[in-house]
This record gives sequence, C-alpha cells and structure tokens, in this order.
Amino acid sequence: MKHRDTFSSFHPVINFLYFGLVLLFTMFLMHPVSIVISLGCSMAYAISLNGSKAVRFSLIAVFPMMVLTAAVNVLFSHEGATILNYLPSGNPLTLESILYGAASSVMLASVLMWFSCYTQVMTSDKFVYLFGRIIPALSLVLSMTLRFVPKFRAQAKVVAQAQACVGRSVSQGSLLRRAKNGITILSILITWSLEHAIETADSMKSRGYGLKGRTAFSIYRFDNRDTYALLWLLFCGSFIVSGWMAGALQWRYYPTVDGELAVPLQLVYLALCVTPLIVNGWEANTWKHSSCET
Amino acid sequence: MRKLCLLLCLLILSGCGAKSQPQGENTCTISISCATILDNMESCVAAKQELVPTDGWLLEPVEVSFSDGESVFDVLLRVCRERKLHMEYSDTPIYNSAYIEGIGNLYEFDVGPLSGWMYKVGDWFPNYGCSNYELKDGDVICWVYTCDLGADVGDNSMQWQQ
Repeated sequence: MKHRDTFSSFHPVINFLYFGLVLLFTMFLMHPVSIVISLGCSMAYAISLNGSKAVRFSLIAVFPMMVLTAAVNVLFSHEGATILNYLPSGNPLTLESILYGAASSVMLASVLMWFSCYTQVMTSDKFVYLFGRIIPALSLVLSMTLRFVPKFRAQAKVVAQAQACVGRSVSQGSLLRRAKNGITILSILITWSLEHAIETADSMKSRGYGLKGRTAFSIYRFDNRDTYALLWLLFCGSFIVSGWMAGALQWRYYPTVDGELAVPLQLVYLALCVTPLIVNGWEANTWKHSSCET
Repeated sequence: MRKLCLLLCLLILSGCGAKSQPQGENTCTISISCATILDNMESCVAAKQELVPTDGWLLEPVEVSFSDGESVFDVLLRVCRERKLHMEYSDTPIYNSAYIEGIGNLYEFDVGPLSGWMYKVGDWFPNYGCSNYELKDGDVICWVYTCDLGADVGDNSMQWQQ
C-alpha cells in the first residue's frame, strides 16, 4: 500500500458530496477550459491514488476510447460552418465536428477517471454508512454489485488454483480438455456467487440490517475539519452553479465555435477539482515538519 | 502507314470529344432559398439566426449544366461542393433516395417541428425523393426551406383541408 490518502479520511458526506459535484460539473460543462481542468485533475488524483496502475488504465482503456469517440463524431456529424474537406460519401468534414468530438471524448475520459478515483475513496462501508438507514435495500444491493467484479476475480483465481492442484488446469492438456476445465471453473464460480449473494443477504438480515438503532460497521465523526471542507464545497458548488445558470460557462460548438472565458469561475472550478490533492499535500507537509521538530 | 496511324488517333480523339459533348447541352436552373425563416425568426434556434441571409437567398438562381441521367440530388451536391456551401444529407434506403438534412447549417427542425428542406421543379413539388427525379433540359429547381410542412412555400399536399 502506498502512502495514505488524507482526503479519504474525511467524513463520507464530504467525499460523496465532492464526487457528486465534480461528476455533475464534468458531465454538464462542455466549456473547453472546464473539460481540460477536469481531465487534468482527475488524472492527477487517479495517479496519486493508484500510481502506475492509473497510468496503465489510461493508456490501455481510456486513450483508445477517446480516439474512437472523436472519430465516431466526425464520421456521423457534418454540421459546422468551416468545411475542411469532403468525406467519400459526399458529406462535408467540418472543423466544428472535429472540435466537438475532441471535447466530448475528453469529457468521457474524465468521467471515467473520476469514477476510478470514486471507487478508491468511497468504499462500500462508507456508502452503506451514508445510505444504510435511508435506503437500506438499495444501498446493500449497490455495494454488493460494486464489490462483485473484484470479488469474482479473486475467487476465480482461488478456484483455478484449486482445480490445477487436482490436475484440471486450464493450461494443460488438449484444447478440448482445457476448454472443458475452463467451463467447470466457470460453473463453480457462478454457483459460488449465487450462493454467496444469498448468504450475504441472509447474514445482513439476521444481524438486523436496516432496523432502527443499528449502527454501521465503521464509525465516522463529523469534526471541525469536515465542517470547513463542507463549507468550502458548498461555496464552490453554489458559485459554479450560479455562474452556470447565468450562462457564463456556456460554449457553443455548432454551427460556429463561440463562447467566452469567465476566469474567476474557471479558477474556482480548478480549486474545487484539486481539493483532494491540496489536502494531501498539506497533510504530507505538516507531517514532515512535525517529524523534523521532534 | 504513319498517316493511317495519325488518322486513327484523330478519329479516336474526336470520338472521345463527341461523347462528352452532350454534357454541356443540358442545363437547368437551381436556387436555394430560406426566405420563410425571415417571417418566423422568433421560432428559429438562437445560434442559427445569424446564418439566415437578409434576402433569404443561400444561392441565387444559377444555370448549371448536367449530363444525362443525373438527378436533382447530384446537381445539388455538385453545386454546393463547388461553392463551398455546407450541405448534409443522409441516405434513406426505404425511399431509395438521399434526404437533405441541412443546407448552409440550417437544418430540419431548426425553425419549429414542421420545418425542413423541400425541392420543387417549376411549380411542382415532386412527391418522391430528390435522388429519384431525373433532370430534363431546362428544368428550374428551387430548394426552399419550409417552416410549415410546405404550406408556406406553396405545397398543399400535406394539408388536412382542401
């Protein structure tokens, strides 16, 4: 495990509110400056959380998807005043459709990167802590589904190893035999996951999950630090929303590119997006100084 | 022998010339107008209002030549391309024709739900797609933007009354 992420140690309300705001703005603000800010910050935070894994994820999955999104838009949208060339079909290739394709691909990439940070920070116990009492069934189902893929993968490894011990490995024997062994493993896994889901549900029920007066597994305290963070998030959120409603974050791509840059709004948006990084840097700095003094 | 060769060459060349000759003979007149938007500016999408010319003509009537068997769509595509005028179409296989989505960045539905591009030849609005109308010499094609399903440009075929 790499160094601790200080932002994760804030109250779950702060974490959830932060990701809610950032994702909302990322999905709805198409201003070129905003999307670049969002992509830059999400990449930086993902790298600080996951290290080289985040770099690999962005190179293997996110970058090809960006190229594909941009290409698809150019092929299917021909609106725009600046005609650069003509496609073989006879429809025009316009500068505006290229720009819009690039912008939407950056937006999509940053949403993906923010979600990869979200899964690291908003662990399932935090989610259940927040919503276990308001929407018990839904939050249990959600946290179980979100846990499903990594858990399924880990169990697949265990089952495959156990099968390999009794000579039913997927890497030995003829092709047919290997396929057969693979299917056996899959069938074991599906049986296991169904049974596991029922067991989890029964276990939660028998412990009185969702009943009145039951506490969550993790206990979080809303202290002064969280109050300041909440005020900061509320300030940034309301400032950006009011600017957005006033139309200062509007950007037009079709038929001609047009829009204006509201510097204070974009600065506040940047400040909101880098909040976790600043908090982490601050904490690391404080820790370094305190260890020097003693 | 050499003379014969020369003669043969000349014959072939003149043959080529003769073949492409009829291209210049057929001419038609084409124009593109969106004058109806001027009367419906209030329902036009805000970003598109600046694109509407003050007199409504995106392309004033011009005479163009075409070769035999060319359709209204072929001529429109060529004229727009030559003049760097924006035009987007999509092929609709059911009607075996191209559908004109927008010309000069003015698209269907930009001026209300009943708006879009139509074409007429002379005074007649053909009841089929523009790829299926084979041009005749001297045809007068008008591409017009309607804001009311054709009623405001003189096509009443879609009206309930009458």
